[in-house]
Amino acid sequence: MSVSTLDRPLPRPRPRGKGRRRIARHAKLWLWCYAMLLPVMVIYAYVRIWPIIRSFVLSFYNWRLIARVRPFVGLANYEHMLGDQNFQIAIWNTTVYSISIVLISTLIALPLAVLLARRSRMSAVYQTIYFLPVITPLVPMSIAWKWIYDYNYGILNYVLSLVGIRPIAWLTDAHIALWALIIMGVWKVLGYNMVIFLVGIRNIPATYLEAASLDGAGEMRKFWHVTLPLLRPIILFVLVTATINAYNVFTQVYVMTLGSQEAPGQAVRVLVYDIYQNGFEFFRMGYASAEAVTLTFIVLGFTLIQFRAFREQETT
Amino acid sequence: MTGKSPSGRALGRRDALALGGAAATVAAIPTARADAHLTVWTGYPEIQPVYQAVAAEYAKTHPGVTFDFFSSQLRQAEQKLTAAVPTGTGPDVYDIGTNISVNFIENGLIDPNPPEIDAYMKSGPWDKFTVDFLTVDGKTYGLPFLEGSRASLYWNKTYFKEAGIAGPPATFPELIEAAKKLVKFDSQGRMTRSGISLRLSGQGSGIGEKFRYLLAATGGSALERTPSGKWHNGYDNQSGRDSLTFYVDAVQTWHIDDPKVLHDADAFATGATAMLFRESWVIGEIQSKNPNLDYGVVPIPAWKAGMPHWMMLQPEGVYVSGQSSNKKVAWDFVKFLTNPENGLRLTEVTGWLSPRTDIDWKPLLAKTPQFKTFVEPPADIKYYVEPVLPPWDEIETRMADRLTAAYVDPSLKGNPQKIAATIHSMAQQTDQILKDANLYGTS
Repeated sequence: MSVSTLDRPLPRPRPRGKGRRRIARHAKLWLWCYAMLLPVMVIYAYVRIWPIIRSFVLSFYNWRLIARVRPFVGLANYEHMLGDQNFQIAIWNTTVYSISIVLISTLIALPLAVLLARRSRMSAVYQTIYFLPVITPLVPMSIAWKWIYDYNYGILNYVLSLVGIRPIAWLTDAHIALWALIIMGVWKVLGYNMVIFLVGIRNIPATYLEAASLDGAGEMRKFWHVTLPLLRPIILFVLVTATINAYNVFTQVYVMTLGSQEAPGQAVRVLVYDIYQNGFEFFRMGYASAEAVTLTFIVLGFTLIQFRAFREQETT
Repeated sequence: MTGKSPSGRALGRRDALALGGAAATVAAIPTARADAHLTVWTGYPEIQPVYQAVAAEYAKTHPGVTFDFFSSQLRQAEQKLTAAVPTGTGPDVYDIGTNISVNFIENGLIDPNPPEIDAYMKSGPWDKFTVDFLTVDGKTYGLPFLEGSRASLYWNKTYFKEAGIAGPPATFPELIEAAKKLVKFDSQGRMTRSGISLRLSGQGSGIGEKFRYLLAATGGSALERTPSGKWHNGYDNQSGRDSLTFYVDAVQTWHIDDPKVLHDADAFATGATAMLFRESWVIGEIQSKNPNLDYGVVPIPAWKAGMPHWMMLQPEGVYVSGQSSNKKVAWDFVKFLTNPENGLRLTEVTGWLSPRTDIDWKPLLAKTPQFKTFVEPPADIKYYVEPVLPPWDEIETRMADRLTAAYVDPSLKGNPQKIAATIHSMAQQTDQILKDANLYGTS
């Protein structure tokens, strides 16, 4: 079968005269943009990218922070990590904490967002209430929760005693302490996730939901078959950011377990605390860097899994 | 912009610029400069008022010297110094324990004492033990500032009288019996007052340090030094097993302490415990929080009758940074800070002891007799110190991590084999840390 000239794509005309001048102007514009962005990019590379590269390199050295000598030890730090009980405990605790925070906060935030998406007089008030913990500074909030959880004088045990529940050693019982921190963590991030979901829900074109209503779909079916699929990118964003943040937990754990009253048996040892302790208390900077690199890859792994899972759902 | 000059000529832009330039030049000429400005960091916030008072006294005779002070909790101070000193952004003067200073000394961040300071240090104000404690490879570093331990037993006299106990315990069996009588529970079985406040949990190496009170009493130690100068664990033996058994039984068998009740100095000052092993600074806490508390202080009991009483010594130094640009003034200030008058001031204000041997403690003892055990311990007391080693903090902290789990582990109760296995595992970890630091040896 012969190919007619109409089937072939039209050749691109070579720029002449005014066209060349237009391209030259665009090129100058691009160059100008990159030149203006260059200082910011250089600063960003220096304060963010370069330290990451340096940490990675440092993980192959034995450096005691204030020592002048840094012998190269290859993979010795990583080998040590595999047998380090503290590291194993920290990985386990951090993973349990992260998965719990992400799941619980997402499962609560999504229905809340759906409810608040219905415009009502009190909707803005409730949004503010839920978002307040997000903007509260972490350190004073942790101190407040430490007192809320206090075994003898905490308000939580007092409230529980009103319904006949015996006091619970929230922060000093090895089996409960991590869950106490998870509860606080969920309370902290719930508002943020809810607002992100709310934005996503409000951006769903109303015509889709109207069409579903016309087809006889109830609220649950509209949510399941219209809202949820269209929220997939938002859910992915929430899961990824929540996972990254949860794996980097440190401040609240450190503040709430400071002092002579703490959960025994390292029940709340988390990975960032282990990195901090190895780097700044024991001066094992090389080993701490190896732990930090490992944390990076773990979080990256979880992120890739989540991306993959959602991409597979989109293609099916 | 124009104005009129005295001669009537309008002031133009050039005149304004000239006047501005002259004013800027005058402003740039420095006025009377201080001889030196010293920054002082401390890991004891309660000591900062002492530093400030001493600095104010010092400034009377050295008007050109000005000061800046910074204090934070001990662990945070150690970390801040570790980050700041190597980068040259640290203070001129700081106090710190030998667990940190030995690292700085090893890496040239603290210079040996100048000859006149070295001679002064060895001339008698401090005993030989204290001087040797701040000596590394034959050179002295810093001046002794405070005695970081001499931990003793605080006992609440009111509670003892109520329980019908004649006096403080002299042995550990007596202590256990007394604690059993002194502990209190409410109607729901919750402990409301512990018989003795042991260090069962918390961050850092303090748990390991308090465990060493028992190790010493039972005849052991955390580390042992070999004749060749190497180290290995000193508690994978009956002493270590007895010490851990005591803690496990205290929590799980005798129920004389509980991780859920209030602990430490706060607990003793507020009456939430009847006994406490702690250093002298608790006296300062009691004076501020509960001055009417009727209490006494005696040496930590002997493990059994006929065995010695042991007391931990832990001198801490105050150092001039190797990177200070005001070393001469800094050393002069440090000498002033550690003189007998200011040593007494330190103890009176904070409760922390000055390690000087030439202080007249009589006025202090007349006001606060509880200091007697600390400043004039009984003559038959035996002393022990913590090793001055770079990985010491890690060794003690890692011990602490294991101990807090062991104290509340129900499988250890009445199980000597498991206790032995736990101690053995801890000891292996200690030895591994020493091996990593090339300090391990058995001969």
